[in-house]
Amino acid sequence: MNQSAAHSEQIAISEEDVLRADMYDFLASLLRTEPSDDLIEKVSELRGDDSLIGSACRTLAHLAKTIDNGLIRNEYVAMFIGVGRGEILPFASYYLTGFLNDRPLANLRAEMATIGIERVAGVKEPEDHIASLFDIMSGLIRGRFGAPASTAEQARFFRKHIEPWGSLLMRDIEAAKSVVFFAPVGTIGKAFLEIESTAFSMDGTG
Amino acid sequence: MDHKKAEDAVADRRDFLKRSVVSVAAAGAVAVVGKAASASELEVPSGTGYRETEHVKAFYDTARF
Repeated sequence: MNQSAAHSEQIAISEEDVLRADMYDFLASLLRTEPSDDLIEKVSELRGDDSLIGSACRTLAHLAKTIDNGLIRNEYVAMFIGVGRGEILPFASYYLTGFLNDRPLANLRAEMATIGIERVAGVKEPEDHIASLFDIMSGLIRGRFGAPASTAEQARFFRKHIEPWGSLLMRDIEAAKSVVFFAPVGTIGKAFLEIESTAFSMDGTG
Repeated sequence: MDHKKAEDAVADRRDFLKRSVVSVAAAGAVAVVGKAASASELEVPSGTGYRETEHVKAFYDTARF
């Protein structure tokens, strides 16, 4: 299954799938680490229609414009890092079993090895961080790890490693004590994960 | 599932996604934000095929099959 990137064909990825990958990258970028000034500036330029995701994007853009960047980074730290632990532990293992570094992480590591991907050197956090999982989904869609994954393969990964807990995490982000800027990130995440679940269930091969 | 039904299912899924995700007018700006982020922490090691990475070894060590 793991083909070298040099040999994978130029498979055309549909417009909808590119936008799905963009959404995963968008969410991963905001959840991976404290937002940089550059990232916050790009977020401030978001526009949106009147859909749930669109209006949450507009809210997020407004917050990016009006909250001091340092305070946004402080909020990220309070939410996800803290002293010892943040308010939120965005790890699959923790949500699925109540423990970090438990069976779901082992399952994910085995799957990553099968796909043929590793963490870059020096990353301390376990691999089952939500941003990593979103990175994997984006990579599967785009064909970063070989040929683009089929919808059925994407659905398998999504259902095993993200769907059982992702919406719960997004709800917890929306409701956190320290939350201001990241609340619409949770809203967007929750809405997008529901779209993904529904879309995968519509595909006959999944 | 016969071929026609499978094609219909794919078309339904694409239509649904078009309505839900593509219609978000911020779609273009969303891509810009994603690209502005710090680099992804994943990489494809240069060797191809299944590799016994440290994590795989650790997994099999602890799994005790």
